[in-house]
Amino acid sequence: MEHLVPLTRFGDIGNGIIWILAFFAVLVGLSGIVNLFRPIRALQRPTGYLLVLLAVVFLAGFAWIGWFHHQIYVRLPLALPANLAQFLNSHLQMMNQGADFGLPLYDAAAPPRYVLPLWLENEKYYFWFMCYALLALPAHFRMQHPRLRAALHILLAVQVGILFGAANPFADPLPNFFGAVEPWFTGNLSPAQRFGLFMQLYPKMIFYYNAEYMWFHPPLLFLSYACITVTFVTSVFMLVRREQEVEKMGYDHARLGFFLLTLGMLLGYPWALKAWRPNWWWDPKICSSIMMWAIYSTYLHTRLYAHKPFMWYFSSFLGILCFLAMIFTFISSFFFPGEHTFV
Amino acid sequence: MLQDMQNGKKAAGRAGALDYWLILATAGVLFAVSVICVYGMFYYKLALVEQLPPAEKAAYLNTMNGVIAPFIIGLILLLGICVPKRLLPASWLYRFAAALTVSAGVLSWRLDITAALTAVLAASLILQLVVLAMAVAGSRRLHFEKSGYWVRVGSSLIHLGLILFVLDLLLYRHLVLHLFLFWVTTGASVLGMVFCFYASAVAGIFRRRENTQP
Repeated sequence: MEHLVPLTRFGDIGNGIIWILAFFAVLVGLSGIVNLFRPIRALQRPTGYLLVLLAVVFLAGFAWIGWFHHQIYVRLPLALPANLAQFLNSHLQMMNQGADFGLPLYDAAAPPRYVLPLWLENEKYYFWFMCYALLALPAHFRMQHPRLRAALHILLAVQVGILFGAANPFADPLPNFFGAVEPWFTGNLSPAQRFGLFMQLYPKMIFYYNAEYMWFHPPLLFLSYACITVTFVTSVFMLVRREQEVEKMGYDHARLGFFLLTLGMLLGYPWALKAWRPNWWWDPKICSSIMMWAIYSTYLHTRLYAHKPFMWYFSSFLGILCFLAMIFTFISSFFFPGEHTFV
Repeated sequence: MLQDMQNGKKAAGRAGALDYWLILATAGVLFAVSVICVYGMFYYKLALVEQLPPAEKAAYLNTMNGVIAPFIIGLILLLGICVPKRLLPASWLYRFAAALTVSAGVLSWRLDITAALTAVLAASLILQLVVLAMAVAGSRRLHFEKSGYWVRVGSSLIHLGLILFVLDLLLYRHLVLHLFLFWVTTGASVLGMVFCFYASAVAGIFRRRENTQP
C-alpha cells in the first residue's frame, strides 16, 4: 500500500511523537511517584509545565493522524469500471426495495471514499488518553493538593506507557482497515471478484467507517471515560479523608462524564437500529454499558446525600466501582463476542 | 404558629426520608439490573449464543427479557412514584404509591403486563408534564431536594426524557414514530442535563441577556 498512502512517513513522524510523549510521561510519572509518597513543593511547577508540553504533543500527534486520514480519503476511492457500476446500481436498487435503511447508489463521477474517523483501532486509545491528558491539565492547576496531583500524573504516565508499549497507532497503522481494503487496490481481480469485494467493503464503509454517528458516539464515550478516570482518583482520596474540595472536583468531572456518557450512548441507539435492526439488546457490550450507566447514575443520586457519613463513603465506593465498570466495559469488547467485538 | 412550623418541618422531614429511601430503592434495582447484565454477558459467551441458529438466539433473548422484566417493572413503578413526589405531600404520596401499584396489578391481571406498564408510564408522563410546566412557571409548590429555577427545570426535563425513552421502547415496531420520539427524548435529556448540571452558568447567560436588552 506504500505506493498509494504514505505509510512510512506517517509511521516515522508518528513514532517520533510517541517517543517524545513517552519521555515526558516518564518524567511526569517519576514526579508523581515521588510526590505521592513525599510531596515536594519544588516539583509542582515544573510538572505543570511538563503537563502542558504533554498536552501539546498529544494534540500534534492527533493532527498528524488527521493528516493521514485525509490522505486515505484522497488516495483510496472505491472506483469501479463503468459496466460494473451499472450492474451494481441495478443490484443495489433491488436490494434497497422495502429496506428501511438502504445503501446509496454508486455515482461514477464521485466514487465512494473513506471518511475515516480519528478513533479507529489503536487510534482510539490515543484519543482516549489524549482526552485524559487534556482533563488532567486543568485538574492539576485547580487543586493545590500534591498527592492528588501525583495520582493524576501517575495515571497519565501509565496511559502513555500503554500507548507506547501496546497500542501505538503509528507503528502499524490501521491494520484491520488496510487488511480489508488492500486486495481492492493491490490485487489483480476479475470483474466478478471485484464486484464481490465491493459488496463486502461498501456496506461496511456506509454503516461503519463513514457513518455520521461514528463522529459522535465513540468520542463522547472516550471523553466520558477520561472524566470517569478523574472521578476515580478523587473517589479514592475521598475514602482516605473527607475533603470538600476533592469531592467537588470529582463531582464536576462526574456530571460532565455522565452527560457525555448518556449522550454518547443515546447517539449509539439510532445507529444500532440502522446497522443491526432492533435485535441487539443483549449484546455484551450494551449490557456492560447499561451496567456502567446504572452505577454512574446511582453515584450521582447518592452524591446528593454525601453530607451523611455513610453516603460519603458509599458514593466514593461507587465512584471507584464506576471506573472498574468502565474498564470491564472496555475490555468486554475483546473477550465477549457480539456486535461490538474488537470495536 | 409554632405548631404549624413543627408540622411543616415534620412533613418536610418525612418527604426527605422518603426521597432518601426512594433513591436507595432505585440504587438497589439498578444494581440488580447490573448483575443481570453481567450474567447475560457471561452466558452469551459461554453458551456461544452468537453461533446459535436464529430461533434459539431469539429464545435466549426472550428468556433474558423475562429475567430482567420484573426489575424494569420495578424501575417503572419507582419512576411512577418518584414523579408525583414533586407535586404531592408525603402523606398523599404513600396513598398514591399504593394506588398506583394496585392499579398496575389489577390492569396486568385483567389485561396484560404491557397494558399495565403503559398505563403507569402514561400517568407518569402526564404528571411529569404538569411538573415541568410548574417548574417552568417557577411554582414554589413543587417539592425538590435542590433549589434553583434551572435545576428544577433541568431535573424535570431529565425525568421527562427517561419516561419518554421507556415509553418509546414499546413503539419500536413503528420506526418513524419511534425515531421521532427518540430524538425528542434525547433533546429533553440533553437540555435537562445542561440545565441541571450547569444551572448557574445557564442562569448567568439568561441574566446577561436580560441586562443587554434595551
